[in-house]
Amino acid sequence: MVLDRTQAPEFQAVSEIRLPAYETFTLDNNVPVYLISVMQQPVVRLEIILDAGSWYEQTPSAAFFTIKMLTEGTKTRTSAEISEYLDSFGAFVELNSGPDRASIVVYCLTKYLGPVLSLMREVLTTPVFPEKELEDLRNITLQNLRVSFEKNAYIAGVRMREKLFGSKHPYGRMQQPAAVEAITRADVVSFYENVIRDRPFRVLLAGHATALDVELVNRELGQIPTSVPVSVRQDFIPAPDTTPLTVDKAASVQSSVRLGRVLFTREHPDFVKMLVTNEVFGGYFGSRLMKNIREDKGFTYGISSSLISFRHEGFFTLGTDVKKENTRQTLDEIAKEVRILQTEPVSESELETVKNFMAGEFVGSLNTPFEIADRYKVILLDGMPDDFLNTYIPRLRAVTPEEIMQMASQYLDINRLTEIVVGGK
Amino acid sequence: MIHYEHFVLANGLQVYVHEDASTPMAAVNILYNVGSRDEDPARTGFAHLFEHLMFGGSQHIQSYDEPLQKVGGENNAFTSPDITNYYITLPAANLETAFWLESDRMLSLSFDPQVLDVQQKVVIEEFKQRYLNQPYGDVWLKLRPLAYTQHPYQWATIGKDISHIENATMDDVKSFFFKYYLPNNAILVVAGNVTVEEVKQLCKKWFEPIAAGNPYVRQLPQEPRQTQARFLETTADTVPLNALYKVWHMPGRFDTGFYNADLLSDILGRGKSSRLYQKLLRDQPLFNNISAHISASLDPGLMIVQGTLNDGVSLEEANAAVEDVISTLAQESIAEEEITKVKNQAEATLVFSEVELLNRAMNLAYAANAGDAAMVNEEAAKIQAITPDTLRSMAQEVLRPDNCSTMFYRRSAN
Repeated sequence: MVLDRTQAPEFQAVSEIRLPAYETFTLDNNVPVYLISVMQQPVVRLEIILDAGSWYEQTPSAAFFTIKMLTEGTKTRTSAEISEYLDSFGAFVELNSGPDRASIVVYCLTKYLGPVLSLMREVLTTPVFPEKELEDLRNITLQNLRVSFEKNAYIAGVRMREKLFGSKHPYGRMQQPAAVEAITRADVVSFYENVIRDRPFRVLLAGHATALDVELVNRELGQIPTSVPVSVRQDFIPAPDTTPLTVDKAASVQSSVRLGRVLFTREHPDFVKMLVTNEVFGGYFGSRLMKNIREDKGFTYGISSSLISFRHEGFFTLGTDVKKENTRQTLDEIAKEVRILQTEPVSESELETVKNFMAGEFVGSLNTPFEIADRYKVILLDGMPDDFLNTYIPRLRAVTPEEIMQMASQYLDINRLTEIVVGGK
Repeated sequence: MIHYEHFVLANGLQVYVHEDASTPMAAVNILYNVGSRDEDPARTGFAHLFEHLMFGGSQHIQSYDEPLQKVGGENNAFTSPDITNYYITLPAANLETAFWLESDRMLSLSFDPQVLDVQQKVVIEEFKQRYLNQPYGDVWLKLRPLAYTQHPYQWATIGKDISHIENATMDDVKSFFFKYYLPNNAILVVAGNVTVEEVKQLCKKWFEPIAAGNPYVRQLPQEPRQTQARFLETTADTVPLNALYKVWHMPGRFDTGFYNADLLSDILGRGKSSRLYQKLLRDQPLFNNISAHISASLDPGLMIVQGTLNDGVSLEEANAAVEDVISTLAQESIAEEEITKVKNQAEATLVFSEVELLNRAMNLAYAANAGDAAMVNEEAAKIQAITPDTLRSMAQEVLRPDNCSTMFYRRSAN
């Protein structure tokens, strides 16, 4: 039989997801530990999650500096000794500070979890925030910002967040050199004392780990006092500004283009419908924007759009770095694609491709214990219902072409998208 | 440990299968044994431009991406100086779609002139986005020709110059395809929820009918031993800080002694406990960022130290301080504790690199292409075999002042 290479093989639409259940343990101090046990490579990721994002700070950048300074010296160890200790076990630490939460994440071989935990207890309970290390961190942060602010894409991202939420809002207030220069040791100590110390936290343990490893966690992190309730967040209301902004950069050969607007979080009933709409529009390599701006016109290396969901607000954003001379034409083409999405139903075939791709991507994003733990965060931290992940594929399959037109009309009105161009047009 | 089975098709395609039933997914990785080092010096950037064309339709299939997306698959590719690598992850139940797509583009491309025209534009925008419109983006365009005088590593994978990409013709595309994109010049790895038997049958059906071509025999000019220090200075007004770059020639990825050089770079500049960070950022306030890494290329590669300077520190002063740290490492014995630390770091990196299914597939393909897939499982033993003496002799060979190229990247005065 001659092989017919024009015929695509049969295929199955993805429906099965294999999501190992998480187990919940409670430590002596009532701190919950969520265990995602996948017994393959002998590695583990320990994530300590603190309700200590920039929502809780009185001084801009205080949350950032406090988290980063936790490993810069304790009552018994210097900064250099802490680095030496972690590196000697091949352990890798990330200190993250976001608007909603902060976290300390450690990746290590499971056999070194014990010694890593004892250091984590130390940095959480007895940090000393030395002046010299604070000055070093201030300098490193300032110099990194100087480099970042030379990048058009970075400037466009910062300006977009300010436009969407206002420069006072935790979601709109991006790190600025002036705030970094102004921060003092007293601001850092105050944030630690008023937001972190003796407050409850949560732990995610993912990888080659069992209840016995949770016992190790209990021996260290379970003994940290948690008697003070989590601080109350201040209230912030987004203050969007939709006037377009162009930052001229004569020397640039490309423009960074951004469009965006405040929408909603994943709790909103339209979330999945909008997710599918976004995917068709600019969410994947085969999206309409990629086909038009890159694959048809060759104006850019890439263009994409996405829905970002924080804990309390969400937004839509679209971005590309485009040949400077084609900036206006790119903006016109984007508007044209919005109009098509609002007025013409997506074909069954295109919609099937998008849904199958999203389902496959979702299943493919549950391959490692760390990815699974990240997915569970929407349930464990953002309060989504327990079946949120298991019902994701059927919910995206239920979206219709009419709903996509409706979503595009309701949420992608081009006149309500804030436009930012850094470069020129 | 990555377990695998191996077989060869009649046309010379090397196939490796790594079974892992714990996932519902499959990874399909095809490595073509061609990179930017194989290019004509007058037509650089071609291997990478060609990679873009591989997504522009094949002999029997108009679109590569769309049918894959339709079955829930994702794909991408990258080109390096050494190889061009294409990879797919998809639900294992739809494995055959990957075979259908990959085998058709190995058979022949559509050679559509419109595709070439658009992808030339896209790659030029990629060139601008990554190399021209970024502070320090052009560093490697300048450092490579300084470090390599003979070997084709002297040009970057994106190409020496935009004009090389603009000048590519369809004839160039065709001759490149028929020279390198051959079953006997490729490695196929299939990993995940698959069986060896299933992969054998699919290979027989889709890949075996593709004719073999003339074997590609690589004959590249080798880089002579560097015997004199080199220096270059460059200036730009888009960089906010002065930056220092220093590179030394070192062994290739699978050459004897590679890990000795790798661990030396870790001692120098991996993480916050490393010597450069502690001495030149913490103890003396010269740098606000300093690190060391290696290029890990198949032919002899480079060890790289790079850092950005604090205001008020001269490049000459910073360079002298780095050279001081380097010469201490080359001349004085290294404490056991420090060696244990970098070995533990290397062990952790190795184990973490095997967590992702796709990474396991790529690691396997990479070792197989370098000559022996079994090398993928020998790394841990090579790291453990390192002693103070082997490190010392590598330090004395690699960290010679005569083996170094230095670049000062100055912020222009205005």
